[in-house]
Amino acid sequence: MILGFDTATPETTVAVVHGDEVLFEDAAGPGPDGRPVAGRALLGMVDEAAAAAGGWDRIATMAVGRGPGSFTGLRIAISTARAISQARRIPVAGVDSTAALAAGLRERAGEGRPVVGIVDARRGEVFAAADLGSGAGEPVVCAPGDLADALGEGLGGAVAGGDGAVRFRTEIEAIGCEIPADEDPANRLSARQICLLAAKMEPGGAHFPAGVTPKYMRRPDAERWLERNDGS
Amino acid sequence: MTQILAIETSCDDTCAAVLDGPRILSNVVSSQARLHARFGGIVPEVASRRHLELINPVIDAALEDAGRDLDAIDAIAVTTKPGLIGALLVGVNSAKSLAAATAKPLIPVDHLQGHVAAAYLEPDPIEPPFLALIASGGHTLLAEVREEGRFAIAGQTLDDAAGEALDKAARLLGLGFPGGPAIQREAEDGDPDAFPMPIAMAHDGSLDFSFSGLKTALVYAVRDLGPERTRERRADLAASFQAAVVGQLVAKLRRALDLGEWRSVALGGGVAANGPLRDRTAALCEERGIALKLLPFELCTDNAAMIGSAARFAEAIPYPRYLELDAAAR
Ligand SMILES: [Zn+2]
Repeated sequence: MILGFDTATPETTVAVVHGDEVLFEDAAGPGPDGRPVAGRALLGMVDEAAAAAGGWDRIATMAVGRGPGSFTGLRIAISTARAISQARRIPVAGVDSTAALAAGLRERAGEGRPVVGIVDARRGEVFAAADLGSGAGEPVVCAPGDLADALGEGLGGAVAGGDGAVRFRTEIEAIGCEIPADEDPANRLSARQICLLAAKMEPGGAHFPAGVTPKYMRRPDAERWLERNDGS
Repeated sequence: MTQILAIETSCDDTCAAVLDGPRILSNVVSSQARLHARFGGIVPEVASRRHLELINPVIDAALEDAGRDLDAIDAIAVTTKPGLIGALLVGVNSAKSLAAATAKPLIPVDHLQGHVAAAYLEPDPIEPPFLALIASGGHTLLAEVREEGRFAIAGQTLDDAAGEALDKAARLLGLGFPGGPAIQREAEDGDPDAFPMPIAMAHDGSLDFSFSGLKTALVYAVRDLGPERTRERRADLAASFQAAVVGQLVAKLRRALDLGEWRSVALGGGVAANGPLRDRTAALCEERGIALKLLPFELCTDNAAMIGSAARFAEAIPYPRYLELDAAAR
């Protein structure tokens, strides 16, 4: 059994998957103040998921969304996964959050069309990864209008989704992508996809605590300022 | 006796410790000071990232040094406030996840309670009643301790912390980070009376501290001198600034001693390592005929042993009632 979760996007999502069967699935959107609830909600949902699976001893692998996404969200999910791994000796597999989004879109779009998982990266940019039919590639970070260039693909006819796609709908539709309605579940990352992607990983894809690292895709601002000032 | 695994990540040190009651079995601190030195101060995002890298190895090291398995731990304590929110989140989520995965109780601890509770640790616990002066980069606090595990705040800083003021002064003078040791080194060759510094709230009768006026005075002095003369007079500037910071800390401590009956004074926090502060506090205590208790340096700077010490006096939350526990910046 695989217990997986992700808090890289405003959605806090947890699932337990056994083969093709989903034994547990729960999600919490942002709170009334619009902020993600991961810090408070994640562990309770994970605890419930473990109970639904019949206890931690039944969990063979944990899977965690390692981003890209909210830096704080990544740290909440990864510190939770690592601590449980440390306590229960359960290996953890890190899964790209953009790949999980793309996998959800693939279920919806069917085969034959490109899909693009797009996470709002703030500052007018997005994190995105495209799946052209053989699984999602490496994520990129760019302005929404530059997606086709950044992914190196024509995105005409692609199905795009995620909080980044919803936020920048106009720009992304302008490059030829189709985006499901704002409220469509395909725009929300599901931990079920985190589990399913982890299940497909090669043996050895799961690690004990320190092996799972976040995919920030951006350096801290202070480092960039320092470099700019050193260079001048 | 209760064995506690304690975790502290409120600022720039990743810390874990194992305690058996007041006895420290291990106390692991992975300092990020060198990482932040090139920025001239602590960068929250850099600190948060480093905490995540270090937290599990540091916890492992604390258990290993203590010769304990997680199974042998009765409760997990963690700093939940105050501090850098992103940094705290790493410790809080790690601690509550470790606790939940093993159905152990969790003990949330206030960081300042930890600094004061460092005084109760063996081998030289300090017995109340005592006055504790805690000065560091994050806080400046005068605490009245009448019984173990509790204190009343007699005074605290209204703006910058003492260590923060020293950091800012060091940056202004082109000295290193952390500022306290850099200023102290530079001040050794300087005249503490060379530059007049304002004495904050000397006459208002309060026990609170304020260091922002000092920083402003230094900014003006540096501006008036110009870059070249500032370099020439750097030792005098550092000495004058340090004397003003130490002078204010000691003046408030003196006033607090006037106001009550105290058996001893405990000095803690990273700034407690400052030589002139130790000397002047020692002189004050000798004059009053009371004992000065200097905490060992590793218990002055941020550490998890002090959090484990405070946890002995805090309420343990049984599993699973802490699952929604969150960190708080203040
Ligand atoms: Zn502190």
